[in-house]
Amino acid sequence: MEPQFNNASRLLDAHGFLDRVIAELRVLQSPQKDTLVSVLQYLSDHIRTTRSEIGALRQGGNTPLFGNTADELEEIITETARAAGSIMDAAEAIESVAATLGPPANGALMEAVTKIYEASAFQDITGQRITKVVGVLLSLEVKLASLTEAFGSLPQPPNAGPQGDEALLNGPQLMKNASSQSDIDALFETLS
Amino acid sequence: MSLNKNMRVVIVDDYTTMLRILRNLLRQLEIENVEEANDGDTAFHLMQKSPPDLIISDWNMAPMTGLDLLRKVRADARLRHIPFIMVTAESKTENVIAAKQAGVSNYIVKPFNADTLRAKIASVCGVTA
Repeated sequence: MEPQFNNASRLLDAHGFLDRVIAELRVLQSPQKDTLVSVLQYLSDHIRTTRSEIGALRQGGNTPLFGNTADELEEIITETARAAGSIMDAAEAIESVAATLGPPANGALMEAVTKIYEASAFQDITGQRITKVVGVLLSLEVKLASLTEAFGSLPQPPNAGPQGDEALLNGPQLMKNASSQSDIDALFETLS
Repeated sequence: MSLNKNMRVVIVDDYTTMLRILRNLLRQLEIENVEEANDGDTAFHLMQKSPPDLIISDWNMAPMTGLDLLRKVRADARLRHIPFIMVTAESKTENVIAAKQAGVSNYIVKPFNADTLRAKIASVCGVTA
């Protein structure tokens, strides 16, 4: 029996082929078959478990597993940039006031302002690190998608996501999806 | 001899926050003639229009990196003599070596403080900090 593999479902076909080999070996009368059958059965079970685990990873159907995580991380960059901007606004305002004061107050304020400017570099450093992590996540997504394709259709575990009150714990929303305070107020009004 | 307060400085970084930090720290050094660019191309055009006295650039930018910009500056007859300080989070030995080979004048690792910036500017401009 020759296995017929194509690009898309190579692993799926290989698994089917393996199961057929095991079935054919089982009916043989050879006394040496048992070790071989148990090794092949182990491999087959391992592939089945792996397929199931990948299926659990892809529980969101076609929704990218890491795509939302990458969005969340990029939102951190945006939020920290905004925070750094506000910190700088405040520091620049203090610097302007300090310039109108005499010693020693102006010196002390200028020194503090300098430290604020220096510390604001956190946004650049964290931004670069997060961008790096986003790149890794997106590359994992591509590899996982290719693995999923190789395994063919995957079993979906029932109720894999959080249930009940736990399902309400989603953390901060992404800006593009977030409700504004006025949205919330309007909703609140309709509920009361 | 102190820093030339009238020097024209081009600062290049794709992070607006970092440009603002640099501008503010330079202002504290009384260097107010500062032009900003968010990328290497824009910076190079600024320099070609009017060569500055000092270039301070980030490394990690796209599509033109700080190293690309440095090489471009060093290959340009009108710009090649200008002091170029790389301010970057890239702190591996091979980065510093590559920058040095490309002709960087000095190298500041992020995060940095005002004293380091002052000292490096003084060093590349040939004055005491």
